[in-house]
Amino acid sequence: MSERIKLAPAADWLELKATEEDWAQADPALLGNLLAQMHLIRGFEECVLELAAEGLVHGPAHSSIGQEGGAVGSIIALTAADQINGSHRGHHQFLAKSLGYLQPDGFDFRAPLSADVQGLLQRTLAEILGLAQGFCAGRGGSMHLQWAEAGALGTNAIVGGGVPLAAGAAWAHRHAGTDAVAMTCFGDGAVNIGSALETMNLAAAWKLPLCFFIENNGYAVSTKVEEVTAEPRLSSRGGAFGIPSWKVDGMDPLAVWLATREALAHMRAGKGPTIIEVDVYRYFHQNGPFPGSAFGYRDKAEEAAWRARDPLELVAAKMRERGLVDEVEVAALRETVKQAMRDAAANLLEADPGGKPGKRRIRPELWPSQDFRDVALRGDLSELAGARTEELASYGGKVEQRKFVDVVADVMTRRMDTDDRIVVLGEDVHKLKGGTNGATRGLSERFPGRVLGTPISENAFAGLGGGMAMDGRFLPVVEFMYPDFMWVAADQVFNQIGKARHMFGGGFEMPLVLRTKVAIGTGYGSQHSMDPAGIFATSPGWRIVAPSTPFDYVGLMNAALACRDPVLVIEHVDLYGSTGPTPVDDLDYQLPFGKAAVRRTGSEVTVLAYLSMVGHALDAVEQTGIDAEVIDLRWLDRASLDWETVEASIRKTNNVLIVEQGAQGTSYGGWLADELQRRCFDWLDQPIRRVTGGEASPSISKVLERAAFARSEEIVDGLQAVMRDKGGV
Amino acid sequence: MASLVRMPEVAASATSAVLLAWNKQVGEAVAVGDVLAEIESDKAVVEYTAEEAGTIGHLFLAAGAEAEVGAPIAILLAPGETAAEVAALVASLGAEGVAQAAAPAGAVDAPAAASAPVSQSTARVFASPLARRLARERGIDLSGVSGSGPRGRIVKRDLDAMKPVPAAAVAAAASPAGESAYREIPHSGMRRTIARRLSESKATIPHFYLSVDCRVDRLLALRGEFNASAPRKVSINDFIVRAVALALREVPEANVAWTDTALRQFAHADIAIAVATDEGLITPIVRAADTKSVSAISAEIADLAERARAGRLKPSEYQGGSFSVSNLGMYGVDEFAAIVNPPQAAILAVGAVQQKPVVENGALACGSVLRCTLSVDHRAIDGALAGRWLAEFRRVLEAPLSLLSVA
Repeated sequence: MSERIKLAPAADWLELKATEEDWAQADPALLGNLLAQMHLIRGFEECVLELAAEGLVHGPAHSSIGQEGGAVGSIIALTAADQINGSHRGHHQFLAKSLGYLQPDGFDFRAPLSADVQGLLQRTLAEILGLAQGFCAGRGGSMHLQWAEAGALGTNAIVGGGVPLAAGAAWAHRHAGTDAVAMTCFGDGAVNIGSALETMNLAAAWKLPLCFFIENNGYAVSTKVEEVTAEPRLSSRGGAFGIPSWKVDGMDPLAVWLATREALAHMRAGKGPTIIEVDVYRYFHQNGPFPGSAFGYRDKAEEAAWRARDPLELVAAKMRERGLVDEVEVAALRETVKQAMRDAAANLLEADPGGKPGKRRIRPELWPSQDFRDVALRGDLSELAGARTEELASYGGKVEQRKFVDVVADVMTRRMDTDDRIVVLGEDVHKLKGGTNGATRGLSERFPGRVLGTPISENAFAGLGGGMAMDGRFLPVVEFMYPDFMWVAADQVFNQIGKARHMFGGGFEMPLVLRTKVAIGTGYGSQHSMDPAGIFATSPGWRIVAPSTPFDYVGLMNAALACRDPVLVIEHVDLYGSTGPTPVDDLDYQLPFGKAAVRRTGSEVTVLAYLSMVGHALDAVEQTGIDAEVIDLRWLDRASLDWETVEASIRKTNNVLIVEQGAQGTSYGGWLADELQRRCFDWLDQPIRRVTGGEASPSISKVLERAAFARSEEIVDGLQAVMRDKGGV
Repeated sequence: MASLVRMPEVAASATSAVLLAWNKQVGEAVAVGDVLAEIESDKAVVEYTAEEAGTIGHLFLAAGAEAEVGAPIAILLAPGETAAEVAALVASLGAEGVAQAAAPAGAVDAPAAASAPVSQSTARVFASPLARRLARERGIDLSGVSGSGPRGRIVKRDLDAMKPVPAAAVAAAASPAGESAYREIPHSGMRRTIARRLSESKATIPHFYLSVDCRVDRLLALRGEFNASAPRKVSINDFIVRAVALALREVPEANVAWTDTALRQFAHADIAIAVATDEGLITPIVRAADTKSVSAISAEIADLAERARAGRLKPSEYQGGSFSVSNLGMYGVDEFAAIVNPPQAAILAVGAVQQKPVVENGALACGSVLRCTLSVDHRAIDGALAGRWLAEFRRVLEAPLSLLSVA
């Protein structure tokens, strides 16, 4: 018989219940504050549903009615320095955090509402209606509510998508030496998604002051929590990651407050993250003004049972027991809130002149202007103004031949020396003498605590970097060991980091550098051999640089680190071993923003290349003797590309060959060819021709791999085809 | 299944034909034997009848357009088939479909387009965007440019080759081997056609030549009298054309053309007149000149020549014909031999009227003499017949009053 030893998770997992004694001892001001805020939220949500029923809310209105106890009970315990983010159902948490920010000393439920609070209600309602005066200028709506000043980092429409971002805020709090915490609120549906679970692991490993606040309302839209997990007590997840966890009745705001106080003490003491699971119930369906029973996935008896435990009623009843409030005062509070919402709505709506009596419409002058569509998708680059820029051709200082990969490590060393905000994170970046290729050589020894070897959780650590960028106190340099891993982290890279600035109204910056290396030709096969430029170039928000020489690497990395937008820096393993002239003792210059480099002047055809394909293109030109103009694009995204140089060249040569190494489908040149044919149509003497790899991603087999990507030989073919199609023969 | 109707070879060895008119339009039902279209070859207009029943799904050519033999001209749909089959069939043609699909279906389908023959081929010109812009800037009509790019696309080089080379460039172009400097003028479409047709004629038609001196003193006198009272002046050449027509009427065996299967004898004398233009030689036709007065012929030639120089002739005005007249008299040429203009069987080369010593009734006199040389396709016309025709021509010319008859 084997010896069998029962094990238990290292972290505590507790259910906390408020006792009669707790209620008896609770501060009357706390109870009054809970009551007032819950009434404000409920009145607000009732107004939203009323407008949704009138067809005035474009898109879903995810009501939080029934869940106020969890939100207010927890957030009321936070300070203004603490931060929250949330999910698609986030009105209640957004309002709770904002109300706490406006009135840190709490609400007297008998007092009239302040103008600030009235303004908060109106601006929040305006955002949900998509109006210019909303918190995100109408871009965010119901699912993207952000008021950074109040510590409301932004709610998120991707299930679990906000969780890694909150970890970034928590990381910043910890490493800035504060005791502030971040709380990320999400539902039972998000517990089973990778973003949440990866972040739990990462936050615990790095002891981040992050509270995972799970609102378990029993249903992911119509799917019951018991259908999708064998352990529906969702706070159990903490045991797997060493996170102390509390399970609380979310219909009891005092119990939630008590649990949150304990969790906050743990986090503020630097002991790492916590989980609070609150059992709550949304009285209505996923969105809109109808109960879930109307859709058949639950019954009216269940809804009635939960409504009988209404948190607003509970607090009012307990206060009545202690003589702190009476029925009339509660009714007056409710009426105060209703009137406040009527006033807020009246400022946003008017009678519809073309509609039936009583029909309302949005006041037309309140819509955002259509020309606001793309404003602040990226920054204005004022941060680059005045920077010292250099080009090798005109560089006056001393240069020496240096190996590319050494320069990669050197420039980061130099920047981390001069800028304490820079933090490097990625897989194995802290070991192996500078990661898998030596690109981070020497950093971890020189900058302890700022070079973070991550778990293999690209989505979590990319999102953590995104959260750091949004926070702004630190400057994350995230490394993906291979570009293909961007698909693993796709939500954070494209839905969050790339879109956040624009989606939340454009009022903040998103400074983040993402490094990765193209490894085509190294035999790593289908899943490690992509060139990410095409995907990033067709996704909003990202800038892209692709250096082909060590000199340019210094200047482009410095520009990327100075830029307040997310910037992808693409490297190439074939270039790491190459050498090139590099300044001796000068790693502080930038390349001029948005300038391509004409590597060879020619008259027959414009060859557009980047990264290692620049060298291959020059080889091919030499081999064929064709008088091609070879342009090293260097800045690849549509907002940074050097259209002037490219178009001038096309007007001269009238023929274009875009050369790139990777697979056809995800290739970069497609959008570029599209843009160029529009800009230069009347100067083109033949269709824009492209050199790319094959359709499939490169295989492991050396022969098949070589057949799948492009180098000099394929560019030779491309050049000859261009010349053939120039006619004249 | 949808099927393609292709341009038939309505005449042996014809490489292209003109779709003169559509008798069926898109959507119309077609029974076997129905006339689909009238097609004009170099020699004739034929009614092209359907070999299969169906419904017209698509017309590739507008009326008046020319297409190569074998090129798709229409799509015939089987019952129940729709535009999808048309699109699939057109797509399956690939480059052929693109090159031959002369006009968008909408344009072809328009009733106006169907009823009024279009003046020239509507086959679209394929040119790169740059070439189109350059042509616009340089005032070049792309329809006269032949393309050297993929599938015949006109590209920048084709236009650059048309630019006059500056003198300095000509000098610089002198080859190191000591050859003379030269410049190359690219061939126009017309130049290429002339080259092809005349090479073909000279290589495949067995020519022989007969010359004759015609006394034209009486003709000159008659012309003087005629012009003194006529509202518009008539040239010697107009009389010559009329004489040719009358001679052909008198010797109808000479009003013929050779085809592989038969000798085609024409009912009327359609006389092609060689007109020199800046672009090259073109031969507009005076139809049924045997039925027209000399003044009518004169007016018609003037009109045709003017429009020929402006490049505004319809294909039907210069294609076909039964006989050609080429006159270089205005250049003082005594005599010359012309190349037969296929599909015709004969051409008359006319020199200058010259004062020459002539023997009249045993006495030397001074006379106005016109030397004419007839070039003949020996496959169609033997020497004796040619001689008989030439004698008739000379007789009519020398007794010119008959030239004034109208019938």
